[in-house]
Amino acid sequence: MIEIKNLEKTFYIKASFSNRKTVQAVRHVSFSIPSGGAISLIGESGCGKTTIGRMLCGMETPTSGSIIIDGQDLSTLKRKERNRLLQKIQLIHQDPYQALNPTHTIQQMLAATLKKMARQKKKGPEWVRQRMDELLRLVGLDPETILFKYPHMLSGGQRQRVIIARALTVEPDLLIADEVVSMIDVSLRLGILKLLRDLRENYNISILFITHDIASARYLGSNTELYVLYKGMIVEKGYTEQIIRQPHHPYTQALLSAMPILNGIEKPGKDRFVLTSQFKQSDTDPSGCLFADRCPFSQPSCSEKRPELVQDGDSYHACFFPEVRNVAAESV
Amino acid sequence: MANVSTAHAEYQQENHKPEMAISARNINVVYATPTGKIPAVRNVNIDLPKGSITGIIGESGSGKSTLIMAIMNAVTKPGKIESGSVILNSKNDLLKLSSEQQRKIRGKEIGFVFQAAQNSLNPLRRVGQQILDLGRSHDVKDLRGLIKYAKELLARLGLDADRVLASYQHELSGGMRQRVGIMFALVLKANIIFLDESTTALDMLSQAAVLEIIRELQKEKNLTIALVSHDIGVVADLSERIEIFYAGEIVEEGKTSKVLSDPGHPYTKGLIQAIPRISGDIDAAEPLKGSSPDFKTYQQPGCLFYDRCPIRTDACRESRPELESIGKDHKVSCFRVGADDRN
Repeated sequence: MIEIKNLEKTFYIKASFSNRKTVQAVRHVSFSIPSGGAISLIGESGCGKTTIGRMLCGMETPTSGSIIIDGQDLSTLKRKERNRLLQKIQLIHQDPYQALNPTHTIQQMLAATLKKMARQKKKGPEWVRQRMDELLRLVGLDPETILFKYPHMLSGGQRQRVIIARALTVEPDLLIADEVVSMIDVSLRLGILKLLRDLRENYNISILFITHDIASARYLGSNTELYVLYKGMIVEKGYTEQIIRQPHHPYTQALLSAMPILNGIEKPGKDRFVLTSQFKQSDTDPSGCLFADRCPFSQPSCSEKRPELVQDGDSYHACFFPEVRNVAAESV
Repeated sequence: MANVSTAHAEYQQENHKPEMAISARNINVVYATPTGKIPAVRNVNIDLPKGSITGIIGESGSGKSTLIMAIMNAVTKPGKIESGSVILNSKNDLLKLSSEQQRKIRGKEIGFVFQAAQNSLNPLRRVGQQILDLGRSHDVKDLRGLIKYAKELLARLGLDADRVLASYQHELSGGMRQRVGIMFALVLKANIIFLDESTTALDMLSQAAVLEIIRELQKEKNLTIALVSHDIGVVADLSERIEIFYAGEIVEEGKTSKVLSDPGHPYTKGLIQAIPRISGDIDAAEPLKGSSPDFKTYQQPGCLFYDRCPIRTDACRESRPELESIGKDHKVSCFRVGADDRN
């Protein structure tokens, strides 16, 4: 069980000698992932979704708020203790072409951590070999053909599988999958998504799935919760399927509208709209709704006060004028 | 009156083939390697009708970029165009022109937008300076007019033109660079635009915005566009016709809606099933079996899709199917069109 409470992150950027600019990357984000559960964070580039992932795995220190792993608050722990806990959280990067050492074979890569694990568990080299085979089979690779290859001999999909296998060597509780399929061919994405779902359902590993593509979030299992982030703030949350069918927040609707339509087997939702304005990182924080300047449905009052994430029936959203719009593509 | 004009339009459609902006015939490209020649593109015929968007779909390693480079006559070593012709506007054969003539055509008549726009911009020069460089190399007399047109295009693309012209490429975001790339392709008033994975590196919202802009500009300026991507979603959204490319050959072509709703080739079927979609049954989605084509695939004598095909027979291993018509404007290269693959 991993819990995040009121997590905030502010970056300071030196603009000139006299003034310091601040960028509020994450604002009051709270969620919890039960073991074997999954959460997807959705948002465009720059919305803070990667920062949340980095804070969770200890690569970034939160400005305020707490990360609680198995009931222990990370910030109160000593360094050694903290590192032991953080080992249970593994990050998988977006770019499978840069995450592997080009001078090591797959066997060397996996053996490095597995040997350490074997010492901890007081097991011999036989265990390392067995475990290596087991992990590679688990991620859908054939150990005999893959073990002695170098990364450049593998395709993008195979590399991503190797990276997942490497993350699994330390027996993590949570995998943070940061845009894991965006660099892979569309035809191979489903295989990786199925693997993540399989790890969840059969090995009780929780998944934090970070993406800009709502469609791929559907394939992690029906009980996956979806959190829509805009400028570091959660603007809508709920179960994936429910949000796709009944999005309340205009930003969620913009994301759903942005999905390409497969002419011939899909037709656009009747309220579909395309947001052509660009995401801008503003210097000053607006006092009103963060999305007001791009929102096609904004009212004058939107820029006066900022809406909070509130419960409305069975959905949670942060909008003063929520309205369900039919924007997602439908099958013909 | 209205009836007469529609009848006339139909008559025109049936009896007059649309004029082709680019008509490529029998393109063959081979890569010479120490282990022998690899046919990267084999006997490809492709037409880009004037004023329409054609999509080309293929996985990484399918040779789709090589095909585009062959059409532009820009294949780099160790690749070599063995044979074929590329007729531009029913006049010149691009493959026979001198390199100086080709250089003039690229940019002025054919624009190109690359996947990674950041790699196609000069990091040491501001965007405005690069437009001037482009103008000078194409003997544009009115450079002031060129900058004015560039500003117009940038505004059209939803950017702050003055800021962009004064920026270096590292000062622009991914979405902005891609838009700048589109501006560069259009600024010399090229009518034929190649988009090679131009939206792949963008997130959903910028991708949708860029696609929308491409759609609008295409209508407004009656551009001929070839859209190359591995993402069937992007291609299906934008293009009127699609060409499915696998291991150096076209395996299926036709009207987009027809090919998607009634795919003939097992590869097309697999591709459509393998995309994460926002609609439809999650459990019906099935990853494509096997791995992307590699150099061994290209050298096999039979059907190139043999090792991944769910409906293969022994005959498929020995001989290779040709592209044949299975309906109006719908061609497939498969011996087993219509065979049931549900077992």
